[in-house]
Amino acid sequence: MLGFYVAGSVIFGEALVLGLASGPACMASCGPVVVPSLLAERAGLRLNARYLSIFLGSRFLGYLLFAAVAWELRALVSLPPGPRMVLFGVIHVLLAGVLLWYAYSAGHACAQSCSRSELVSIGVTGKRGVPGAAALGFLTGLSLCPPFVAAGVRAAELGSVAAALLFFAVFFVGTSVWFVPFVGLGCVARNEAVTTVARMAMVLIALYYAYLGMTMLLGRKVYGY
Amino acid sequence: MATEARVLKLNEVAPRTIGRSLLLTLPIALWSFLMFSHSGGTSRSGKIASVLTAVFMIVLFFMMMRTWNTYRWRRWFFVALGLLFPVGFIHNVMVMRGTMGIPIEEMIAGRTPFCYLPIPLLILPAAFTKTLVFPGSILPGGGMSEAGMAAMAGLWLAITIVVGKGWCSYACFFGGIEEGMAWVPKRAKLRKIDPRWRYLPWAVLLAMVLLSLALFEPAYCMWLCPFKAVSEYVAARNTVGLIQNGIFVVLFAGLVVVLPLLTKKRTQCSFFCPFGAFQSIFNKTSVFDVKIDQTRCSPCVLCQNACPTMSLTKESIARGETLMSCMKCGACVDVCPKHAAVWHIKGTEVAKSPERARLMFLYAAWGMAIMFGGSVIAQGVATILHVFV
Repeated sequence: MLGFYVAGSVIFGEALVLGLASGPACMASCGPVVVPSLLAERAGLRLNARYLSIFLGSRFLGYLLFAAVAWELRALVSLPPGPRMVLFGVIHVLLAGVLLWYAYSAGHACAQSCSRSELVSIGVTGKRGVPGAAALGFLTGLSLCPPFVAAGVRAAELGSVAAALLFFAVFFVGTSVWFVPFVGLGCVARNEAVTTVARMAMVLIALYYAYLGMTMLLGRKVYGY
Repeated sequence: MATEARVLKLNEVAPRTIGRSLLLTLPIALWSFLMFSHSGGTSRSGKIASVLTAVFMIVLFFMMMRTWNTYRWRRWFFVALGLLFPVGFIHNVMVMRGTMGIPIEEMIAGRTPFCYLPIPLLILPAAFTKTLVFPGSILPGGGMSEAGMAAMAGLWLAITIVVGKGWCSYACFFGGIEEGMAWVPKRAKLRKIDPRWRYLPWAVLLAMVLLSLALFEPAYCMWLCPFKAVSEYVAARNTVGLIQNGIFVVLFAGLVVVLPLLTKKRTQCSFFCPFGAFQSIFNKTSVFDVKIDQTRCSPCVLCQNACPTMSLTKESIARGETLMSCMKCGACVDVCPKHAAVWHIKGTEVAKSPERARLMFLYAAWGMAIMFGGSVIAQGVATILHVFV
């Protein structure tokens, strides 16, 4: 019993510290998605906090789903290169598509009613679609960033899928601390300039992710040198 | 057309006396002598180029003083800078390397010449990781990086704090190319431009800053800089490299050549350049700006039409000011028939001493232009003269 408790504490502590240490890298790799989409939302700390909660929650689901499936396939540490490129190519193309759709929806959302304090939804106009934050968070959770890989390598050494998922969950909490400052973007006043810049930036970033995804799917080099 | 001609006639004032113009030009002449007397190396072409450049800069400044106009004389300098920079630069890289393409080995060795355009992209990675994500040398002596990144960045900061976005009218190596293109046609063929395109440079800045932090590379240099077409680029060793270089050429052709010819605007600067958007922030630190004196303004919106970067709108004119994208080129001031658009020093009364404000700005900006752009022009001229002398 005591041994189980000690082992649990070690896993908990290690996962948390790994998450806290990797957080800046997580923040940097998620930044291109989070920052423009936050700026495209309406102003307000509460609304932005709600956006981040949904984004992080969906990202957490993406993490767990990836970890559970990879564990079952015994591929948590070494996914073969071919399937890996296809998988991440698809994820990047989907991410690009969602970003473009989000940019379009954000423009329509403001056109319809700028005073409503609701998050931008992507989906059929006039009906309750999927919150853009959820879709973006889920897809960023699925894409392998370096901290995710580090956590995956460690989690693969644990004895059971439950322990691995617990490790990922605590690791996730550690990385999420670094996302809290993004809530401050709610203080930035939203006017036509800010929302237009945010939407244009989302389009540019989507083009880059589309390029990344397509080159992965085609099995080509990603860089030119 | 006839109304415009009559308005332009009203705008003309008697030129300043030659003696007074020479007196006001004297500090610039002394500065030019200081800058160019020991430059040019030992070659005859270099020395001749230095003399020609010094005379060129002094004469332009003299004409600014004599005619009370800024824009049309500044434009000669700026277009010369834009055309001669590639001449000198490409010649240098061909001599040193034999190609405009930078091999990856040169980048790894930190021998990539530093350009000011990626400065905003380097800030966040440096703040988070104490690493500069540019393959150059911080200190001098890194191969082609003669001055080193630290010197270039320090120079940029010092100049920018004083002149703000005036950098884009008096220092940028590349803006002169499109300003020259915009000068060519008599009339714009494309007149209606959606003002929301003015937000795109900020979007490019935001996207490139975030991607540079995520990818740990200067994303704008790797993917979107149109001026790679007239300077240097990463040597293409595969399809991706070809795609990158293709993007540079297409952007250059579209934004720097075709659109300025169609619109008579500096389209790359106004609608794309992220560095220009970054420089706009420093218009808040600069003490110099341009104001519209509401007691004199008609409004005839000639200033709005003359502005090469769409930095004047009906709303901003009503407020008596330019937008923060103003590059302090002087086009609006020179075209205003009522002398309502005036140079101004922050904290002073609008239109009280506009010529004094203009002089103080020009001494700073032109002094910087001689030091920075003048040396580039001299190098370009020396390169051409070397063929004959």
